[in-house]
Amino acid sequence: MFSRVRSAVASLVGGFMAGSSSSGERASGADLPMKFPYERPVFLGLSQDEVECSADHAARPILILKETKRLPWATGYAEVINAGKSAVNEDQACCEFMVVKKRPTGSFTPCKPSKRRSSLPNGEGHNLSESSMENAELVFHYWALFDGHAGSGAAIMASRLLQQHIVEQLQEIVDILQNPALLPPTVMGDDLDHTSTPCMPRALTRASSLRNSPCTAAPRFFTEKKIQHESLVIGALENAFKYMDAQIERERVVYNITGGCTALVVVFFLGKLYVANAGDSRAIIIKNGEIIPMSAEFTPESERQRLQFLGYMQPHLLGGEFTHLEFPRRVQRKEVGKKMLYRDFTMSGWAYKTIEDEDLRFPLIYGEGKKARVLATIGVTRGLGDHDLKVHDSNIYIKPFLSCFPEVRIYNLIQHEHGTDDVLVMGTDGLWDVLSNEEVTEYVTSFLANCNPDDLNRYTMAAQDVVMRARGTLRDRGWRITDDRLGSGDDISVYIIPLMYGNRQS
Amino acid sequence: MAYAYLFKYIIIGDTGVGKSCLLLQFTDKRFQPVHDLTIGVEFGARMITIDGKQIKLQIWDTAGQESFRSITRSYYRGAAGALLVYDITRRDTFNHLTTWLEDARQHSNSNMVIMLIGNKSDLESRREVKKEEGEAFAREHGLIFMETSAKTASNVEEAFINTAKEIYEKIQEGVFDINNEANGIKIGPQHAATNSTLAGGQGGQQAGGGCC
Repeated sequence: MFSRVRSAVASLVGGFMAGSSSSGERASGADLPMKFPYERPVFLGLSQDEVECSADHAARPILILKETKRLPWATGYAEVINAGKSAVNEDQACCEFMVVKKRPTGSFTPCKPSKRRSSLPNGEGHNLSESSMENAELVFHYWALFDGHAGSGAAIMASRLLQQHIVEQLQEIVDILQNPALLPPTVMGDDLDHTSTPCMPRALTRASSLRNSPCTAAPRFFTEKKIQHESLVIGALENAFKYMDAQIERERVVYNITGGCTALVVVFFLGKLYVANAGDSRAIIIKNGEIIPMSAEFTPESERQRLQFLGYMQPHLLGGEFTHLEFPRRVQRKEVGKKMLYRDFTMSGWAYKTIEDEDLRFPLIYGEGKKARVLATIGVTRGLGDHDLKVHDSNIYIKPFLSCFPEVRIYNLIQHEHGTDDVLVMGTDGLWDVLSNEEVTEYVTSFLANCNPDDLNRYTMAAQDVVMRARGTLRDRGWRITDDRLGSGDDISVYIIPLMYGNRQS
Repeated sequence: MAYAYLFKYIIIGDTGVGKSCLLLQFTDKRFQPVHDLTIGVEFGARMITIDGKQIKLQIWDTAGQESFRSITRSYYRGAAGALLVYDITRRDTFNHLTTWLEDARQHSNSNMVIMLIGNKSDLESRREVKKEEGEAFAREHGLIFMETSAKTASNVEEAFINTAKEIYEKIQEGVFDINNEANGIKIGPQHAATNSTLAGGQGGQQAGGGCC
């Protein structure tokens, strides 16, 4: 086992273990039909020939939006393929304007982007209050990045369907969200009027209120949690991720859906930006040159305690081959009986324990920084898919340790004024592995400052520029960027979203 | 479609000389008088026949503006042919050829075939660069030369196909190592295939072209 793990660790390539795709794809294999064929993001509108050209690992062309295509808010986008770690670009992206209509009771029709989208590509002019009056519908803007691993199936599927799951979740609560003055009712169907103003006379005792309530509303005991509207949106996003993951799990039996993916989603809804992140992509807001982080990466290191706790509670998930404890390095046989530094799920600091035979097992979390892995296999701990992924040459599944739940952060966009150079930058780890928040901010800010403010291509050109700076140029010793640092050999995808359009719309 | 060889081309030259229009005329047989500025790279592809062999041309159309030069430079890698384009009605685009040529020589493989193109030959009345000057420049630097019009399609086919012929000859002479993809040449799934099946062409192409 140990030699097996060691060789597995040795064969780690980029963010992922090279050999895992063979062991990870078992029965859901090539015999099944594809759910979606391999493609680049729909909004790029590439032909098969163009997709083929783009997969050039030697020249690594940076793909951008065609001049004839526009994304909502004049959003900029650029991407580049990896330097050879996988045959195709495994990042995927989606950007759409979505309409949420109240679902007719009893029937089930997922809401597709309406035809209105083509005539109003920016969603501008879509008078929210007016349309909501007559149709009970809400709209949102959607930007998403998915970074696939061990195959592109999950990333492609999520890039096509996650927005539909979000629509479905929001459909449930259209009525409630349209009434910002009233707090969401605790029980659906209750008269909305009673939710925010409890009518129970204070003098009434609990017992008497139990016997006969003077109110028509249900009696209220003690205090009741007040749930804000934005918490409902967060819940909708979280559940959308859950149902997306469940759909991949369900359909992988009938379709060939390979691998897994991270998901970073930005939704502009009712004046607020919701940033939902499951994985190691990142979003930052650059406002007046200042950086506001809008996400945090989920990695074996950042999620160590959750993972260790799970291994501790359910040791069978470790297959008798891994230990949930962390040691500063691998424990050697000759050290059994000695005291060694360790830490458990309950600790952020370190302590000494006497080494036992069990501690010789391979650590659940091993490696540092970008090389840290869970079960010697995967370097990202949240995302969608991966249901078939196993530890190399074993029967130990990785999925129980992965979580599909996103962390959602909110930026109250319309409460701030935004200039032409205030943007939200979304990027897959290919960008952030080699450039810091500060560097990206500097590049984007100085690029935009040298651009005509009226040029609608400026955000795409800025995205191209920042991808170029992360990719670097190919020299004798590989891809290099500023200061002769190593460039990113990973797939890189970047959105640059100007925030002022959010102000204009609201 | 099955092909015997795949050649990668790159189109370079000053902004506004008609690079994108040449590509569009060659791949789609149409002319678009108003074309947006290319701000990155765009691709085109077309199948041609040389010596009875199917050859797929994969063409990279680049941005001509100075500010995109550093991005364009990285796209020479792995090109078997380059179309270096100037505008016969704008002397400055001809004057800049030396800089473009230096760039091309420095960032491409030494066997890359370069075709010099004087475009907009339909605008004879506005001509600023004589045909003889183009010929002389090409002779001096060892390039092939043609004047074209992306608008009337004059010589456009010839420009792309003659470049391919030159590359093909170099392959026959053994100058190009066709097994080294850095030369911008890939061998098709069925070399000199006579019985090309649809599926065979697609699948093989992916296997041959995707992974490196």
